Amino acid sequence: METTDLNLFVRTSEETISDWDRSKIADALIRETLIDRDTADQISLEAEQMIRKSGVKVVTAPLVRELVNAKLIEKGLESTRKMHTRLGMPVYDVDSLILHPNKENANVPHGPEATNLTLAERIKKEYALLCVFSQDVADAHMNGDIHLHDLGFIDRPYCSGQSLEYIKKFGLDLPHSLSMAKPAKHPEVLLAHLIKFAAALQSNFAGAIGWDAINIFFAPYIEGMSDDEVKQFAQMLIFEFSQQAVARGGQAIFSDINVYWEVPKHFEKVPAIGPGGQFTGKTYGEYEKEGQRFAWKLFEVYKEGDGAGRPFFFPKPIVHITEKFFKTQGHMDFLYHISDVAADKGNTYYVFDRGETAKISECCRLSFKLEESDLRDALEPWRMRYCALQNVSLNLPRMAYMAKKDDTKLFNLITERFVLATKAHKEKRAFLEKLLAHGEDGPLALLTMKRDGMPYLRFDRASHLIGMVGLNEMVQVHTGEEMHESKKALKFGLKVMAHMKLLSDKMRRQEGFRIVLEQTPAESTSYRFARLDMRYFSPASGRAVKGDIASGEIYYTNSTHLNVKYPMNPIERVTSEGIFHPLIEAGSISHVWLGESQPYKEALADFVIKTFRNTTSDQIAFSPEFTTCNTCHRTGRGLLDTCSYCGSPDVDGITRITGYFTKVSSWNKGKRGELNDRHRVGEYFAEQKKAANE
Amino acid sequence: MGIVKIFYKDDCPMCPVAKKLGRHLEAENVGVQHYNVETAEGLAEATFYRVMALPTVVVEDEDENGIGEWRGSVPKIEEVLSAVRNA
Ligand SMILES: [Zn+2]
Repeated sequence: METTDLNLFVRTSEETISDWDRSKIADALIRETLIDRDTADQISLEAEQMIRKSGVKVVTAPLVRELVNAKLIEKGLESTRKMHTRLGMPVYDVDSLILHPNKENANVPHGPEATNLTLAERIKKEYALLCVFSQDVADAHMNGDIHLHDLGFIDRPYCSGQSLEYIKKFGLDLPHSLSMAKPAKHPEVLLAHLIKFAAALQSNFAGAIGWDAINIFFAPYIEGMSDDEVKQFAQMLIFEFSQQAVARGGQAIFSDINVYWEVPKHFEKVPAIGPGGQFTGKTYGEYEKEGQRFAWKLFEVYKEGDGAGRPFFFPKPIVHITEKFFKTQGHMDFLYHISDVAADKGNTYYVFDRGETAKISECCRLSFKLEESDLRDALEPWRMRYCALQNVSLNLPRMAYMAKKDDTKLFNLITERFVLATKAHKEKRAFLEKLLAHGEDGPLALLTMKRDGMPYLRFDRASHLIGMVGLNEMVQVHTGEEMHESKKALKFGLKVMAHMKLLSDKMRRQEGFRIVLEQTPAESTSYRFARLDMRYFSPASGRAVKGDIASGEIYYTNSTHLNVKYPMNPIERVTSEGIFHPLIEAGSISHVWLGESQPYKEALADFVIKTFRNTTSDQIAFSPEFTTCNTCHRTGRGLLDTCSYCGSPDVDGITRITGYFTKVSSWNKGKRGELNDRHRVGEYFAEQKKAANE
Repeated sequence: MGIVKIFYKDDCPMCPVAKKLGRHLEAENVGVQHYNVETAEGLAEATFYRVMALPTVVVEDEDENGIGEWRGSVPKIEEVLSAVRNA
């Protein structure tokens, strides 16, 4: 063969060194692209000449490929080059990645597993932008018009809501697992199944895994346990979930547990499943007391915190406040109990399900009213598993820069971006459908298993989320006022959201799949959008972004929230922010930043009742701040530079980033800017208490 | 003098009655604002007033203080007029 006289070796991707063989270039071009044989031969010849001229003795396969790509560009064969391109990273990037922590998601610690995760994510992200999404969608993401969340997890759905009933009924019988476990007979075994299943699900979803009515579904297993045993069991559950930082990429499982004081109406008459997957002969309505016992003990554990007195980061407890809650015996005691936890550790999320319509929690705060078919599902609760396929967020402030105060232009831009986000959803759907079509032999085997006759992932019921970042700054740029500054500005914000809500309804009818608005957590997106807009839309963006421009700690206000810095009493904030919530189907939240203060539980309980009765807020959470010491392992209140017990400077600050607690040192710059700005309202609750005493 | 806000949509059974009420009020020289909740403007206003049922009629004084509301029902014109004139 004429090429061997070149005496050139190639380090191939199979970790071997081969003799130079020019025909391999042409073969690869033919295999991977639509190029014709003659052109392919010509290109391989030219590439060979280039290498020959350079005089090198050993080349790497990636280098050869890039040389070929250069030839393709020279010849104007751009679409061929795209098909032939390779995905990967520069040595410099890999080096710094292995040595330095990832700040995009504070839930990812730094370590070999985390590095693996990041490296894989980088390649899948590139793959997604090149192969899954069309050029206009990918470009819009790259330039920051929109943000496609979790691109590194392109080959899985986004988040999911689960029912413990599935593993109670079917045991742990996962595709390709080494052993099949029958339905659990003992509570500890059920818990072990739950944790393993959660880990398996985490490997098949990008984001949060939520568990519905966990205390109700565990109740049949709790029966007969002493209070001490229930406490022990609650401890096991929380520690098991929170210590799963040995799972995927060293991440904790991003998990929610939904807790009810009452037995939700739609489960009252449902036959309960107990040990061995057998019906116990009773309904869940008859397990109210056991469910309450477990709920109470769970919150006792939250109150104590971990071994260093820190709040548990996961699982997040979500308590549903409903009309029935207030009619259920002992509800005030329970409300004080969970509010004590909220004041002390901050864990409690209060979700408000108003009216008599039954509601159910999916993942990512996604809740929806139960319709006829859902109520049928509720009779067989193992069917109740939900998911969102993807989340796409719109950069709202940018549209305001572009519209230059012209209403028609602004609303037109919103429509265009919304349509683009919908297109992105269609493309992700098509991609996932392709993966799911391989069934139990495919990459998403777990999601296709049919233990109850239908695929585990109910694709036809999936939601598609469209989120928003910086409504406040959009309104500010467009009207000259931020939303807290006037009723007019607030109403303009409402009009933007109403427009988006109507669009989501329309798109849903048109496309035939569920498109819903969501308040994007935007842990890194609000920083990314702000940064990109500083690059492309200065000086207008400089007047709108929040945070500190000089230090680069800039951000846009999350979703539809009001300016976090503006000193506003919490009732006013929760009421005003709550006005938006009915328009946002996939759920919303208002944060109450407590700072270093620790309000009385009675003050928070009272606040919660007022929020339920007098506002349209969907959900609230109270966030205290902590400093935990790495020297003496104690935890004090407030964000401090040194430990208040031993004076050690080796401390970590801890508070809520968006949807969960984490160490402040792991936050990205944008979030640190927001943290500086947060208006803490500890004073407010202190004054409430004083007023009550006088 | 108060002002009347009427919230409706195209295909709700009682909404035509509410719209008719609006026209009669206008004939009495009462300021009436119509909001179709299937438009962004109308849905935004309805969200602001926490309208959960249609039709809804709200009466406010000049300082936008609420002085009468009928949610999910249509009041008699006399009821609205007395609210408006007492504003
Ligand atoms: Zn210390």
